[in-house]
Amino acid sequence: MNRHLVHAVKEEEPLEGRLTIALAGNCNVGKSVVFNQLTGLHQHVGNWPGKTVEKAEGTTNFEGTTMDIVDLPGIYSLSTYSVEERVTLEYIVNQKPDVVVDVVDASLLERNLYFTIQLLEAETPLVVALNQMDEAQKKGISTDTKRLEQQLGVPVVPMIAVRGIGFHELMTATRDVAQRRTERKVIPIRYGPEVEVHVEGIAKVIEEKPVGLPTRFTAVRLLEGDEYMRQLVARVNEEAIAVAEEHKRRLEKAHGHSVASVIASERYEIVRKIVRASQSTVPKALTFGDRLDEITTTGILGYIIMVGVIASMFVAVFAVGDKVASLLGETFLVLGPMVVRAFGGGTVGELVWGGLEGLIAGITLALPYIVPFYAIMAVLEDSGYLARMAFMMDSVMHVVGLHGKAFIPLVLGYGCNVPACLGCRIMETDRERTLAVFLTTLIPCAGRTIVILGLVGRYVGIEWALGLYALDLLVILALGRLAYKTLPGEPSGLIMEVPPYRMPHLSTTLKRTWFETSSFVTMALPLMVLGSVVLKALEVAGALGPISGLLSPISVGLLGLPPVAGVVLIFGVLRKELTLVMLAALSGTANLSSILTASQMIVFSVVTMFYIPCLGTVVALYKELGWKKALAIVMSEVALALAVGGLLSRVLPTLMASLT
Amino acid sequence: MMLVSLASLRPGDKAIVDSIEAGRGATRRLLDLGVTPGELVEVVRSARFGGPLEIRVRGSELSIGRGIAMKVLVQREG
Repeated sequence: MNRHLVHAVKEEEPLEGRLTIALAGNCNVGKSVVFNQLTGLHQHVGNWPGKTVEKAEGTTNFEGTTMDIVDLPGIYSLSTYSVEERVTLEYIVNQKPDVVVDVVDASLLERNLYFTIQLLEAETPLVVALNQMDEAQKKGISTDTKRLEQQLGVPVVPMIAVRGIGFHELMTATRDVAQRRTERKVIPIRYGPEVEVHVEGIAKVIEEKPVGLPTRFTAVRLLEGDEYMRQLVARVNEEAIAVAEEHKRRLEKAHGHSVASVIASERYEIVRKIVRASQSTVPKALTFGDRLDEITTTGILGYIIMVGVIASMFVAVFAVGDKVASLLGETFLVLGPMVVRAFGGGTVGELVWGGLEGLIAGITLALPYIVPFYAIMAVLEDSGYLARMAFMMDSVMHVVGLHGKAFIPLVLGYGCNVPACLGCRIMETDRERTLAVFLTTLIPCAGRTIVILGLVGRYVGIEWALGLYALDLLVILALGRLAYKTLPGEPSGLIMEVPPYRMPHLSTTLKRTWFETSSFVTMALPLMVLGSVVLKALEVAGALGPISGLLSPISVGLLGLPPVAGVVLIFGVLRKELTLVMLAALSGTANLSSILTASQMIVFSVVTMFYIPCLGTVVALYKELGWKKALAIVMSEVALALAVGGLLSRVLPTLMASLT
Repeated sequence: MMLVSLASLRPGDKAIVDSIEAGRGATRRLLDLGVTPGELVEVVRSARFGGPLEIRVRGSELSIGRGIAMKVLVQREG
């Protein structure tokens, strides 16, 4: 059906080797549904090299041709302002995929084609997957696909990805384009005469010393003042940069607006013409989704519903998760005697058990907490509710220097910091991701809650335990403001698309959850096992006593705790609740009030609350931010714990005495 | 014609975008999402406690933080 687009078709020849297909498009267009339907269980989730942007890859087979599919991040432009945009441009320019499949929302064609025409400018072999045809129809929009194909010069395939409609046509078109990639018909994107003069002026200079990128594409980017493109071109063609600067200055002078806004307006003008020629709209009445939107985001009722949603999320993840975790823990305890039988009670047996403990800690973390967390995040995001929550909580989150999107990871941090850190990925800029991850690690998770309630709540009083939570919020507030001021980069406010409410796609959600979890677990488990074996080795080697001695200037001198606390806090790095268990075990009594005074309990809990995040969280930090930032966060939190703990150990005894 | 900030509009108000005076990143993002000079925008709703505005532009809906909305200058329609 797309034959008429391609002139001078070569003879059909069997294609050797595999094809590489990249999926690109805006956020919320169903790109991941397309990816999942194509790749099924043959996929892998990781990061782009050196970046914290997620990369999903998979393979599929279409009529004997193997295709590697790469899911590019959802973006609105190729302007390289965000990491996601740069990742996409670099991939398209350097890796030169055989075909880019641009997934487009038919119900929001204008906004989506803004990105499409940039791909056309980049002269990449392209197929447009016109998705959400059902939604467009519901909105009263009908599309003339043939007209759209003629306007764009590339195949356009109508689809309803969630219902599996259009995939065969999509793959056929993709394969056809890949096989005839040299013969692609190019319809140039022309701007208005005022802008064209400048684009051509720059293009001429670029052509004298080509930079290995499509000329007009490069010229437009330089005119816009794209920093990344500037750096690329500067290496090869210094003159083009100078000429572009001059054209930019002249255009700005003539127009009165920034070049960026002039070119964005022109691009949208081009797009509007294409949309007018290929779509017609008969306005429809308010849909059920519109009404739901009104109820859930406007007024007090919206906030009440949100509290309900969060509460049920907690119940789902943490009540159920807790049960499963302790059940798993108990089941694994049975392994203890088996290890002793197999390896003997000596050093080897101890070390094997140490490694197993790490494995158990990893599994009891992954299964009950991370799996449901990913599933819930996926449902919240795909349904569109996450965007509404961010809308409602934006002003609250500004208090700690973040915007509304950070609310979900922070709240979920109360259950477990690990998935909460991973969830901070939804923040757009590195600066915000760092800030959100940092604050998330300060939220007392379920493990720390066990310590706070089991020690302070039980022996000192519930009001003191609640006081610790209040102290924690104060610290988060203070550090959030501090980090907000000191972190480099421009603080960005909320600018976010609010997608319509949609039913999440079950199989996509499940697969996504599975692959994200396994990607984390394969990274975290070895580290947790290793850490656990090292701890055990120290214990077996009899190093714990000397370490306690070494730490005593801190544990006894600074914090005023008994010497045993030093060792206990080391074990707490594996899992925070272990501090309580180890304290009882090493002191030989379950009655902790016989070994700690009330103020010591509070100091101990505060230190447990703030010092090094647990091993799993450190791995998550490393994964999300890289080791430098992870180390910086760990160090600053140790310092924080010691400062607050040291201060309290001096103030509390007098304060508590005066209270009673 | 008098220019006002987008943040001063109420739900139901319509306006034509004049210019965006926000930071580079925010301006770029707004432009890419279709908030360009000369374009018609409509305020759909406004969050409580000085929260963001939700606007409709080119058929899609966007949340814009109040701080940024204050830096978008518009001309009221009707």
